Amino acid sequence: MIWVVLAAVLAVAVVIVVALPFLREPAPASDELHALDPAERSLLDAEEARDRALAALQELEADHRAGRISDDDYRAVVGSLRRDAAEALRALDRVSAAGTSDAKAKIH
Amino acid sequence: MAELGRAALLLTLGLSAYALLVGGYAAWRGRRRLAHSARNALIASFFSTLVAALVLVAGFLRDDFSLAYVADHSSKALPTPYKLSAFWGGQEGSLLLWLLVLTGYAALAVWLARKRARDLVVWVTPVLGGIALGFSWLLVAVSSPFDVIAAPADGSGLNPSLQNPYMVVHPVALYLGYVGLAVPFAFAMGALLSGRTDERWIVATRRWTIVAWTALGIGQLLGAHWAYVEVGWGGYYAWDPVENAALMPWLAATAFLHSVMIQEKRGMLRVWNVTLVSLAFCLSLFGTFLTRSGVVTSIHSFSKSTIGPWFLGFIVVAVVFAIGMIWYRLPQLRTTAKLESLVSREAAFLYNNLLLVALSLTILWGTAWPMVSEAVRGETMVVGRPYFDFFLRIFGLPLLLLMGIGPLVAWRRASLRGLARTFAWPAAVALATGVALIALGAGSSTPGLVAYTFSAFVLASIVHEFARGTAARRALTGEPIPTAFGRLIGRNRRRYGGYVVHAAVVLLAIGIAGSSAYDSVSEGRLAKGESLAVGGYTLTYRSLGEREGPNATEVRAVLDVRRGQKDLGTVKAGKNAYSVEQQVSNEVGIRTDYLTGEDLFVIAEQVNDDGTVFFRIFVKPLVNLIWLAGIVFLLGSVIALWPDAREERRLATRYANARERSDTPATT
Amino acid sequence: MIALSVAGVLAIFLLYTSLAGGGTPSVSPSELSTKTGEVALAGRVVGTPTGDPHGAGMRFALVDIHKPGAKVTVLYKGSVPDMFRTGRDLVVTGTRQADGVFVSKPGTMITKCPSKYQAADTSN
Repeated sequence: MIWVVLAAVLAVAVVIVVALPFLREPAPASDELHALDPAERSLLDAEEARDRALAALQELEADHRAGRISDDDYRAVVGSLRRDAAEALRALDRVSAAGTSDAKAKIH
Repeated sequence: MAELGRAALLLTLGLSAYALLVGGYAAWRGRRRLAHSARNALIASFFSTLVAALVLVAGFLRDDFSLAYVADHSSKALPTPYKLSAFWGGQEGSLLLWLLVLTGYAALAVWLARKRARDLVVWVTPVLGGIALGFSWLLVAVSSPFDVIAAPADGSGLNPSLQNPYMVVHPVALYLGYVGLAVPFAFAMGALLSGRTDERWIVATRRWTIVAWTALGIGQLLGAHWAYVEVGWGGYYAWDPVENAALMPWLAATAFLHSVMIQEKRGMLRVWNVTLVSLAFCLSLFGTFLTRSGVVTSIHSFSKSTIGPWFLGFIVVAVVFAIGMIWYRLPQLRTTAKLESLVSREAAFLYNNLLLVALSLTILWGTAWPMVSEAVRGETMVVGRPYFDFFLRIFGLPLLLLMGIGPLVAWRRASLRGLARTFAWPAAVALATGVALIALGAGSSTPGLVAYTFSAFVLASIVHEFARGTAARRALTGEPIPTAFGRLIGRNRRRYGGYVVHAAVVLLAIGIAGSSAYDSVSEGRLAKGESLAVGGYTLTYRSLGEREGPNATEVRAVLDVRRGQKDLGTVKAGKNAYSVEQQVSNEVGIRTDYLTGEDLFVIAEQVNDDGTVFFRIFVKPLVNLIWLAGIVFLLGSVIALWPDAREERRLATRYANARERSDTPATT
Repeated sequence: MIALSVAGVLAIFLLYTSLAGGGTPSVSPSELSTKTGEVALAGRVVGTPTGDPHGAGMRFALVDIHKPGAKVTVLYKGSVPDMFRTGRDLVVTGTRQADGVFVSKPGTMITKCPSKYQAADTSN
């Protein structure tokens, strides 16, 4: 008998856990999924692109210092990596500037 | 008690269905609380499955033979640890273990990723829910561990070959691996479903993949060790379908681990990566299907199995779904980044991938051939060792070499001249090793010699990498060598952890080459006092003894071991006769030479009534490197997995900032 | 693109090697009389085995696993797996002789574990 009781308790607990979000916020201001909106997405993307570009540059430098890449190979590649990093930084500036002005526009 | 177990599984069924259907709806329509609720359901499904698992454990510990499953796999005399491991000794229990690990991983994954990968998690929840639904359906409707019978006086006992410590760890490790692949798969599908086809899903699942892959690798090594010491036929891998079942997803996962690095660094190979992770997961399902349904033995046993058709159905659903999603998102997945040079790290990784996937598919083909040939030709054809060995050499040896080349090649483009300079030293070491080995007689086996030479190359390049990195650090910081070495690894955990793992694979290769290409075997019937010579050893059969163990009669033959003039002690080999299970098992005698890594492996094949014993004796050089490799492998993985505190803080701030920013406009 | 084409070539190569006659046919005792050459005979052990597998050879009888039918006598030399006993299913590779006896290649016996967990193997 005790097993059936335990089963019932488990069932009730489970139902409560599943209903929890609705019990906590019976009437929320917004039920919209706070997934990132496009502006936020592009900001995060730009940040990630910058990180990637800088990391690649860093890795190239480290490889060169450790002797994994010869001077010739280093010179051949470093230029394009630096350009990629600069472009990523510019893109990030653009996106965050747009984001700030967007937020300002929404507030007003 | 069975009612609680059944109820708990029924709850898991309901919760998974909820997570799948409601979670899917919530993700599609963007309903926050509903998505949260579905996530809670997935997490709750772990707890209800845990309850079911605990009920089964209690059944075993209490010798509750009214549960058919307990009666079939346990007995009163069974030692307690084996009562616990009997949980997964049969089909229903191992399915429950699968589900337990799945819901555990699922709960952890969605909980950990809930802030950082929110737009992914809303879709990951229904995917994981769907997989859990499949397994809980099997457990509720097809193959329940809680079937009740009139309790017999005692259970049937556990198969003697499963009564050893390996049974406690090997299946669990394998399942942690098999099931673990579901998480990256779910995130990949989540990425496709949500349209976030960039690297987000890979970064989120990086650690999961390594954990699953490590567990699967360790699980297989445990299995190999089990086969070696306990099953005792003289080897550790037989290309048995059940063994291949674990190897195939592991190879695919290895390929995946490498190709995601390319996507992270260069944004390339997006289609390939989602395909590869889907392949790994489907192979994992297929592997479970193979092991559980015995389908490869004969197509006839397949139709007798209740679970086979369901499993096949799941695999078909998973494959169709994955292909469908990839096809649907193909435009978003395509990138403009291209392979710049055939001599670059990207290219090296690509070759690595091709070889690994090719090997995995050849094994798949060989393993599935009996089923396919029966369906197509009406005649079941079985594929033997030579097929697998051939392809292992063809793909494995180049892979070995590539392990040494890859890390030394630069990204994007590497000049051949630069390469030649980098490879000079390791290549010289390899060449010298090769020559020395030929002088020592290793030329008797060409694949063995090649394996050894390639291994020397890889080891030399790994040592070179560590040395160069430390030297470069010292040049910059002036630290003493130990500090520089430690900091080097600490700042580049993935890279150097990876190198340690490569070293482990090399040890594995050397161990396999030594014990299969250069082993010796001798056999014969000996009367007391007679000897057998093998591989430099002489063994003399001295005596035969018998004693009563806890649940078996143990017969052991004692042999003296000599090498030349030196007395090396004794080794025992014999058989155990299990009373309850009415079975006999081989108990081999192994003498390990720790200096050379060599094993003397004695099998008492047949104990005759007149006191003579037919012995089969192997000498297996370097075989212990295989087990050492397992430890090094684990070490390397732990290094690679170890979180970098600075990196974690940086990422945490970024996602917290994003949340702040996104909260402001949305609530206006 | 390169990846796909290489994979394609590989696939064709594999299909060719396997369809071109790789592998040994697996037959049941009732199908044995129709086959010549080396086959993998799969069946269930009935009766009591006699003889010494490490001596002149062990003789035992195999029947079909899934339906009653022909009984085939097998002469086996080599390692015998632990699982071997009357009533177990196993596979041996060999050829059928003119006198109807199936002579196996030494050490090719594989037994199937009843709990479907693992197949014990003695081949090396």
